Amino acid sequence: MSIVAPLRARWRQANRQGDLSAAALALAPAVLLFAVFNIYPLLYSGYLSFMEWDGFSPQRTYVGLENYQSIYESAQFRNALSVTLKYMVGVTALGVALGLVIAMLLNSGIRGQNIYRMIYFLPVVTSTVAAAVVWRYLMTPGIGYADVFLRNVGLTPPSPTWLRNPTWALRIVILVGLWKRLGFNIVVFLAGLQNIPKDYYEAATVDGAGVWARFRHMTIPLIAPITLMLVIMSLIDAFLIFDVVYVMTEGGPVGTTEVVGFLLYRQAFHYFNLGTASAMGWVIFAIVFTATLILWKFFGVRESGL
Amino acid sequence: MKRTALPLVLVALLAAAFALQGVGFLGVARAQEPIKLTFWNYWDGKNGEVIQALVDRYNAEHPEVEIENVFIGWGELLPKLQLAVTGGDTPDLAAADMVWMPFLANSGALTPLNSFIEASGTDIADFYPALLAVNTYGDQYYGLPVSTNNLELFINSDLFAAAGLDPAVPPTTWAELQDMAVQCANPDQGILGLELYTQPGEGLTWQFQVYLWQAGGDFLTDDLTAAAFNSEAGLKALNYWLGLIDSGAYTLSDWGLFGQGQACMVMDGSWMVGIWAETAPFAWTTAKMPYPEDGEPATNMGGEHIFIMASDEARQQAAWDFINWFTSPEVQLEWDQQTGFMPVRDSVATNEAYRAWIEETEPRLLPFVEMQQYAHNRPPVQQYAELSDAFSAAIERALYSQLSPEEALAEAEAAVNDLLQ
Repeated sequence: MSIVAPLRARWRQANRQGDLSAAALALAPAVLLFAVFNIYPLLYSGYLSFMEWDGFSPQRTYVGLENYQSIYESAQFRNALSVTLKYMVGVTALGVALGLVIAMLLNSGIRGQNIYRMIYFLPVVTSTVAAAVVWRYLMTPGIGYADVFLRNVGLTPPSPTWLRNPTWALRIVILVGLWKRLGFNIVVFLAGLQNIPKDYYEAATVDGAGVWARFRHMTIPLIAPITLMLVIMSLIDAFLIFDVVYVMTEGGPVGTTEVVGFLLYRQAFHYFNLGTASAMGWVIFAIVFTATLILWKFFGVRESGL
Repeated sequence: MKRTALPLVLVALLAAAFALQGVGFLGVARAQEPIKLTFWNYWDGKNGEVIQALVDRYNAEHPEVEIENVFIGWGELLPKLQLAVTGGDTPDLAAADMVWMPFLANSGALTPLNSFIEASGTDIADFYPALLAVNTYGDQYYGLPVSTNNLELFINSDLFAAAGLDPAVPPTTWAELQDMAVQCANPDQGILGLELYTQPGEGLTWQFQVYLWQAGGDFLTDDLTAAAFNSEAGLKALNYWLGLIDSGAYTLSDWGLFGQGQACMVMDGSWMVGIWAETAPFAWTTAKMPYPEDGEPATNMGGEHIFIMASDEARQQAAWDFINWFTSPEVQLEWDQQTGFMPVRDSVATNEAYRAWIEETEPRLLPFVEMQQYAHNRPPVQQYAELSDAFSAAIERALYSQLSPEEALAEAEAAVNDLLQ
C-alpha cells in the first residue's frame, strides 16, 4: 500500500485536468491491438524457442537451450550470417553513398527535380515480389532483356550464367535490393539538404572554402543525423530480407544467397521445426538490436556543430 | 439521460442481432439439414474444374451431404493445415501431397481408416502397394491415394530433327542418352541437350533418385534408419550427371528451359503432358526413361492422397462415403481420363477401355502408364523435407565442383544420418 499511495498521488496531480485519462482512453485500443498482435506473439515465440514442436501434434517437449546451441554450432547459420552481412554492407554502403550523391545533384537546381524524385521513388513503392519476378526474368540467359542487351553490347555472360553463378547471384540480389531502396534514401537526403540554409554556404565561400571543403566540413556534419537514421534503417531492413531471395534464387547456387531470413522460413514452414525457428528469430533480433545500439551510441551522440 | 440512453440502446440492438443470427436459420428449416463438409485440396486449372464438377455431381446425387470444395495453393496448404490443427478448426477432409503424409499421419490429426475400409468392403489390394505404403503407420491406413504421376523422358522433336536425330528412335540406355544429348546440344545458342534440375531442394533430390534407383541403389536403408545412397550405385549416378556437364550435354542453369524450347530433352512428369499439349510452341514426344545397361527400369512418383480430419463420427462417415465413391474404379477412370493423372488402382491401369482411350486421345501418356509399376516411393520419414534439402545441397556442391563426388556423397550421408537419429 505504501508503494501505491505516492504513485496515486502523482497521478492525481498530473491528471488534475483530466487530460491524462483521456489520452489513456484514446490510446487504449491501439495499445491493446499492439499487445495482442505484436507483444504476445513475440513472447510466445520466446517460449517456443525453448521447446521442440512440429506445429501439429499437441505435445511440446522442453529442450532448454538446445535450439540455441544447435544454431550456434550450425555451419549453415554461420554461412547465412556472412551472406546477410555481405548483402547488408553492399546495400547500405552503396545505397547511402549513391543516395547522397544523387540527392546533391538533384539539389543543385536542375529543372524537373520533382519528376526525377518520383522516378527514383517508384521502385520503393513497388511490390518487392513483383519486382523480383521481373528482375529474375530480365536475367534469364538468352531471353531476358538485360541478358540480351549485355550480350549485344559485347559482354560475354559468366558461365554458369547470372543467377546460377556463385559469384554473381549475390551481386544481382544486392543490385535489386539497392534499386529498391535508393529512392527512399534520395528523398530523405534531399529533404535534409534543402533544410540547410543557403547563407551557410555563402558565408563559407566568402571565407575561401572550396567545394570539397564545403562538403566535408558543412554538408556532412549537418546531415549526420539523417545519415545515421538511413544507415540504421537500411541495416535493419537488409538484415531481414526474404522476398527477393525467395523469388530469385531460393537460397541461391551453393548457398551463396542463403540469408538468415530464408533459413528461418525453411525451418518454420518446410521442416516445421518451430522451436528452432523461434530461437533463430530471437537470435536475429538480438543481433540487430545490439548492432543498432552500438551504432546509436557511437554515432548518435556527436553534436552537429560547424 | 437521453444522451446516455441512445448509445446503450444501440449496443443492446447490436448484441441482440449477434445473438439472433444463429437462431434465425434454425426456425426456418424444419427438414433434416444436410451435413456440410469442407474439402481442401490444391488442384487448380483444369484439374480444379474436374474436381469441382465431381463434387457438384456427388452433392446432387447425395442430398443428405453438402461438400464444399476449397482450393488452397500447394505452397500454402501444409502451413494452413498446421494452423487449422492448432486452431482446432480443421477441414473435414483434404487431399494433399503424398510426401506430407508421413508428417500428417504422425501428427495424430488424421482419422484411421481401417474400420471404414472393412465396413465398406473396399478392395484395398487393388491399390498399388508402393502408394499405400506412404499412408500406413502401425497397421492403420491414414489415407488413400487418389492420383499419381511419374517421371519419363520428353523430347523436343523439332530440335531433334534439326540435329539429325529421329524422335521416333529415342535413347534407351544412359550411353545413348548422353550421346544424343551431346549431339543435340548447342551451347552458343543456349540450347541444352538434356535438362536436369540442379537447384537445391526436393526437385534435385527426386530427379537424382531416379538415376540412383536405375543404377540399382537405394536412398535409405529398408528400416529407414540410415542413408544408403553412399554406394557404388550412388557414385555411378552422380558421375553420370557430372559426365553430362563435362561433355556439354548440360550446362548449369535455371529450370524450365524445355518448356521454352531451349532444351532437347528433359525428364519430367506426366502432368506436363496435358500442359504442354496446349502451350508448347514446338512439336514434342515422350519415351520411357533410359536406364544403364547393367541397371533396371525405375522412376519416381508423386501424387495426392485423401484423408479425413473430422472429429465427429457422423461427419467422418459422410467424408468416408465420398472418399469411397471418389476412389472407386469407375470414378477413378473418369478422373484419370479428364486430368491425365496416372491410375492408382491396378484395375484402372489394366482396363482395356482406358488403354484404348489413351492410345486414341493422347498416346504420349503411354510410357507413363506402362512405367508406373516401376515407380519407387520416396522414404516415408517425418524429416523427409530436411533430409532432401541436406542431400541436394551436398550434391549441388559436387555439380559446382566444390566437392569431389565421393566427398559430396559422404557429406550428404553424414547430414542425413544426423537427421535420422
